[in-house]
Amino acid sequence: MTTTNRLAAEPTAVGASERRPVPRKRRESGLTNTRLWLWRIFLVVAFVVCWELASGRIVSELMVSRPTAVAERLWTWITDGTLGEHILVTAQATGLGFALGAGAGMLVGYITASFRRFGDVVEPAMTALYTMPRLALAPLFILWFGLGMQFRVIFASVIVFFLVYFNTHFGVKDVKGELIAAVRLMGASRREVAIKVVIPSALVWVAAGFKLSVPYALIGVVVGEMLASDQGLGYLLQRSANQFNASGTFATIITLLVIALLLDFILTRLTGRFLGWRSKGALNPL
Amino acid sequence: MARPDHATRQAQPSPVDRAGGGQPLVTLENLTFGYPGGETILEDLDLRVRQGEFLALLGPSGCGKTTIMNLVAGFVRPRQGTVVFDGAPLRGINTRVGYMTQGDTLLPWRTVAKNVQLPLEIRATPRARANQLVDSYLGMLHLSDARDRFPSELSGGMKRRALLARSLIYEPAMLLMDEPFAALDAQLREALHRELLSTVAQLRQTVMFVTHDISESILLADRVIVLGTQPAGILAEVVIPFGADRDLAEIRLSNEYLGLERKVRDLLRQ
Ligand SMILES: Nc1ncnc2c1ncn2[C@@H]1O[C@H](COP(=O)(O)OP(=O)(O)O)[C@@H](O)[C@H]1O
Ligand SMILES: [Mg+2]
Repeated sequence: MTTTNRLAAEPTAVGASERRPVPRKRRESGLTNTRLWLWRIFLVVAFVVCWELASGRIVSELMVSRPTAVAERLWTWITDGTLGEHILVTAQATGLGFALGAGAGMLVGYITASFRRFGDVVEPAMTALYTMPRLALAPLFILWFGLGMQFRVIFASVIVFFLVYFNTHFGVKDVKGELIAAVRLMGASRREVAIKVVIPSALVWVAAGFKLSVPYALIGVVVGEMLASDQGLGYLLQRSANQFNASGTFATIITLLVIALLLDFILTRLTGRFLGWRSKGALNPL
Repeated sequence: MARPDHATRQAQPSPVDRAGGGQPLVTLENLTFGYPGGETILEDLDLRVRQGEFLALLGPSGCGKTTIMNLVAGFVRPRQGTVVFDGAPLRGINTRVGYMTQGDTLLPWRTVAKNVQLPLEIRATPRARANQLVDSYLGMLHLSDARDRFPSELSGGMKRRALLARSLIYEPAMLLMDEPFAALDAQLREALHRELLSTVAQLRQTVMFVTHDISESILLADRVIVLGTQPAGILAEVVIPFGADRDLAEIRLSNEYLGLERKVRDLLRQ
């Protein structure tokens, strides 16, 4: 769980003197915002130009296609509706798989962390299941659920489940006993402690679990489509590669990249609404 | 200074004799305590805190001061003897005390105002009344300008004041303070001492204050109880005659203060 631990590390308060000023927004890269973005764009443009120039000269075009051909392919797929159709299928499965996995993960994680004895019984089994390579489950799931959408949704949700489960479990366990004691003394019931302290405190971890698992949900669905499907971006990817269609393959990969970035952006915005306090102050890691 | 409308909320003796008379608010009787499976930490302890007084428990690190506070807060139960709070034996967590420790127990996702408001939410205080109380306590502790800041945006001293406001806003019968200023530098601690004393005087708050700092105990308290080590027992009791509205800067230079300090130091050395 090192990744999630790092992502969800508690913000550390540092003893400061009374006259500490209100901290300003952090700018540690030493570049102004515009410059930073110019450099980032430059990097992408330079890569695309090199790709275009190298293709057909240094590397065979059959292998890497070329940006102009990829753009052409993308344009055709967009205009004839191919891309939209496949995106819809993949997005549906990803969204559904994520929602199911995240919901179940939060619920079970909260329960195993809140009821110590039950958690102690269940935890080793969870860890064992988690360490097992989940791709190996795919054939079994195909056997159980057939080749349709159901299989992909469940496959993705299982992957998401474990990531969200562990983050929720440790998030709830990580809540400082000191905070709970303080609120209990104010007269809070068990339920109020959960609502006012445990859940908000664990939310940092849960959000980290979400952020981590969204790309995995997408991967799960795409792999599922590659293995057994006649629709979705995974299918498109597989078909293009089988036909030695490098432009089609790259066009699909770029589409997936954009979708992954978009999902990450949406999620960051959504969780940011609840975790705005995390970005306040000078010393928060996120 | 803004004076909350409930400032005289408890029927109490005048501040002048606050170390003198007064009903006992908490009584520890023949109290023995040890953590499960551990050795005895407190043995046959008798302790009384009177209504309206400021009592300091002074003792070396590890002698059981925090443990005594946790007993009064109801977080732990005595092996023998009882904790009597306001006339009735204590059962379960004592929700009639405020408890401020050295730790930072502000909820980092709530602003200062929302943190201070938390006990009122839990006690289902009506909205209008709650807002009024939050305003007056933030004013009293000079936090009005910081009300919308998050704890990560506060200095150490502001955090202490916010915690103090939160511990007092629900009008606890007694305020427990366990080395609340131990992590602060000397200058800041002095400022907070002044602020604490004026707040306590305004509210006529009963306080039980734990420290291992001799001068802190003398400067703040009406009565200092000196504890020895393992199992902890009361070595001595020293009455501090400075009264409620004392001037700390002046006291510090007085012969009376120096005499008391020497006396307590000798007691602790035994
Ligand atoms: N939760 C605990 N379990 C077992 N022993 C404890 C616990 N807390 C404190 N102690 C022991 O009890 C003694 C008194 O501790 P404490 O009340 O914290 O002292 P103080 O606050 O005066 O420094 C110490 O010897 C400490 O090691
Ligand atoms: Mg202590």
